[in-house]
Amino acid sequence: MYFSFQACKMVLTSERVPQTDAQTLKSKHKKQRQRNRPRNKRNRLEDSHPTHPESSANEAASAMPGKQDAVATEKTRDQIIAEREAKKLAKQAKKLKNAATATADAPAAPTVPTTVSTIPATSATKIITKVEQTTITTKLTTTTTTKKADAAALKPTQPAAVNGKDAEEGERSREQIKAEREAKKAAKKAGKSGGAKVEGVLQQLADLKVSEKVTANAAPSATEANQQMKKPALSKAERRALQEAQRAAKAQGQTKKAQPAGKTPPTAVPKESKRESVSPTKAAVISYPSKCPASTANGDCRVKLFNHLVCAKEDSQFINDPLVHPSIARLGVQYARRTVVGSNARCIAFLHALRQVVHDFETPAKKEFGRSLDAAVKHHVDHLHKCRPLAVSVSNAYKQFKNQLTQLPSDVPETELKELLVHFIDTYIENQIGKAAQAISGFLQEKITDGDVLLTFACSSLIQFICEEAKRRQVAFRVIVVDSRPGCEGQELLRRLHANGIPCTYVLINAVGYVMAEATKVLLGAHALLANGYVMARTGTAQVALVANAHNVPVLVCCETHKFSERFQTDAIVYNELSDPNQLVRGDKCQLSNWAAKGKLLPLNLSYDITPPELVSAVVTEVAILPCTSVPVILRIKPDIGY
Amino acid sequence: MKEQPLKEITQLIHAIKVGLVEGSYNITNKTLDIFKYIIMSKSWQNADALMQIVRDQCKILQAALPQETVTSNIARRILKLTREEFDLLHAKVQHFADDSQASLSLHKLVTQTSESNVSVDYSVPQQGLREALLDHLQEVETELETSSENICVQAEEHIHSSEIILTLSHSRSVENFLKRAIKKRQFLTIIVAECAPACRGHNLAASLASEKNVEIVVIPDAAIFAMMSRVNKVIIGTHSVLANGGLRAACGAYTVALAAKHYSVPVIVLAPMYKLSPLHLCEQDAFNMVGCAEDVIPYDSIPAREAKIYNPMFDYVPPELVTLFISNTGGHAPSYVYRLLTELYHPEDLEI
Repeated sequence: MYFSFQACKMVLTSERVPQTDAQTLKSKHKKQRQRNRPRNKRNRLEDSHPTHPESSANEAASAMPGKQDAVATEKTRDQIIAEREAKKLAKQAKKLKNAATATADAPAAPTVPTTVSTIPATSATKIITKVEQTTITTKLTTTTTTKKADAAALKPTQPAAVNGKDAEEGERSREQIKAEREAKKAAKKAGKSGGAKVEGVLQQLADLKVSEKVTANAAPSATEANQQMKKPALSKAERRALQEAQRAAKAQGQTKKAQPAGKTPPTAVPKESKRESVSPTKAAVISYPSKCPASTANGDCRVKLFNHLVCAKEDSQFINDPLVHPSIARLGVQYARRTVVGSNARCIAFLHALRQVVHDFETPAKKEFGRSLDAAVKHHVDHLHKCRPLAVSVSNAYKQFKNQLTQLPSDVPETELKELLVHFIDTYIENQIGKAAQAISGFLQEKITDGDVLLTFACSSLIQFICEEAKRRQVAFRVIVVDSRPGCEGQELLRRLHANGIPCTYVLINAVGYVMAEATKVLLGAHALLANGYVMARTGTAQVALVANAHNVPVLVCCETHKFSERFQTDAIVYNELSDPNQLVRGDKCQLSNWAAKGKLLPLNLSYDITPPELVSAVVTEVAILPCTSVPVILRIKPDIGY
Repeated sequence: MKEQPLKEITQLIHAIKVGLVEGSYNITNKTLDIFKYIIMSKSWQNADALMQIVRDQCKILQAALPQETVTSNIARRILKLTREEFDLLHAKVQHFADDSQASLSLHKLVTQTSESNVSVDYSVPQQGLREALLDHLQEVETELETSSENICVQAEEHIHSSEIILTLSHSRSVENFLKRAIKKRQFLTIIVAECAPACRGHNLAASLASEKNVEIVVIPDAAIFAMMSRVNKVIIGTHSVLANGGLRAACGAYTVALAAKHYSVPVIVLAPMYKLSPLHLCEQDAFNMVGCAEDVIPYDSIPAREAKIYNPMFDYVPPELVTLFISNTGGHAPSYVYRLLTELYHPEDLEI
């Protein structure tokens, strides 16, 4: 009995992966990738066959959309192969899925996500994996996005179609999460019966993921090779392959008929049959409301004070660029929809996408690798900036990456250069985010003692990490989570802390004066630290610091040095980000509903505010515990610290 | 023997508790009506008996509705009136023996000692007291009715054109005040903090948006500090004004006042005279009330089962954060509130 429980627990950790498993899983993934690679390579080779020069196809697509069908009608060999493979894999996936659904009634099934987050881990990779969850769960959508981008490229005159598909993407990714969960269930079952064969299960999980990727996209083996910045157009044959794969995957009757290019049937249709209610518990994924309220009349209904700031745009307009790598396109949508939020999560997601870009990059003929990659990455970063203004952490990471690009040796083959860059990205994540979090937590552990009452605002991954660490040290402390509408991110933190068994109190921000008397320390996360010592953080942070100051409670801001910015700013109005004002509207009965029609009523949803240094007792960084005003010092010495 | 509440009092308590009567003004009005009825229809022989009835009923109200200080404020007003009328009549009977009771000369104010007042015997039956009281109550009623208007009239004195004003939640006085200001001044920007979880600020915003020439910006409570740097004036309402000039105001007012202090923005508090209470409450627990937590976090969410969740109703705002009170009689500094209180209520009635 104990044995099987243990096994189950180990399987459950597969997503959160403590140290050792992390390695195995990573290597598994790597193997998987390698296994896939040859096929892709072959396809790529065949794709660049003289009869189908990419450039000409591209031209055909852009110049004369009518012609491209003629070009594409002949079924190339690789497409036939792709078709077959797709079918095969789809069948395999189906089998696996049947097995998975059979175990859907496993007793502990609904609690899977919570259990997952309770397992302690000790390594630096832990916080990373936590934040990475977002990336993992949504990784599967990559190719779907490509296809959409491709489709959009085909018919740029049909924004409406793109909109519709975009709405579908949310559902799709949810389905994939679901599928993943089912995979986990299957894995658990295997773990129970087979007994502790974790590796096998992980293998299965990985297999399932891969096969699912195939079913989801039907003919990715053909398209995947081409996805990098060139090309597009789905040929007729590919479309057919896709549809057949869907049929093979047991689509229920509603599979749509073949539609003209640009309206390729949603690839996730077959999976809709097994949709079930899902509790919105994915860590780090703050679920996005299914209907995206249209932010109407951006130009008219604006607060005069904020005329200079760009209002949040509808995200569908971002995926329309054929030159953007799918992983970046997907990340862009995630940024715009606020699926990936939080400085660290955004940075990690960006670096992962960047790694993908580097990995898939091909140097154009007669160009230098470093420079052409620089240009390509710049384009991608511009795209992300359009989706949502870049976080300071992201632009810092980008700066470091660019710096790395300029220092590349010139006499080394391209593959090694790529290895170098990928290595750089990985170490950046590990050092700047993972180890920094550990160091900060280390500093703070000395400050957290029995009987402490920590007050924190909104949701910071770092604060969560610190609290969990303190809990592990068996310190008797409790946490007051202060939150604010409309984001209510604190609920996420509350959920995570609660899962760790930390006693919590939860209040909204206007009640902060009520609970401040109990607090012994205020711990705040930050979006960035500005060069003049001001702290840029989620709106409301300054208010909490202000009240804490009035109550003489020390305010500690936790911030890794990779979030330090060279900008100077003295108020929250000159530079800020405006989120969707519709979030302030509470339901249909709210007096604010249809504010846009009323004209003079303007909801304003600021993202950040600026806390003046006099309200902050100290900043905890991985270097030391410092006063706010030492930011320029750190900025100056940082290159020497050894990152 | 414990006094039984009158039927009208029980009805009022019930109406307030279930939310049929809302807002300080309405509560004050209803309470005044009841006391008027007591004076008119109850059989009382002398001033002392009447004062005892008023005190008893007031105690009942206070016990049932500890948060609604306006009820006891009105009771204090009536007690003070009774004393004054009695004194006046008493003096008349004595044919203005020393001519001192009727007019309060400066000399009298200086030389008067509190002992002389205590020695008055209220148990002596006095002719015409009932009529005199009812007359005087009429004045109080009119004052109550015009208080909102009298506050509004002062809007022009405090607001200039193109001003940016921040307010919190929804107060009727503030609503009327701002509406008047919008009519008189051009290009105002009014920032309304919504005051979660009830979000009554939305109602105020919607109501103000029907006016012309104004920009209404609704912000979440978290953005108060961020916006404060551009605000010219903070105008808020309050639940009651305490004896030291502090406020018991809607939750969030403390943060607003602190942020205003940080940016040196004047904080103007609209408080009609009936909200002045002779109470000293400096601690949260002494006067606060926690509301339903469902709005803060849904009951069915997982963490809600274990976590402590508070939804306090009021905030204490210390007097040093308030710049100015505007009442129906004009503007007052917080340090002057104690003086207003001695004018409004008799020292003996501070403790009912």
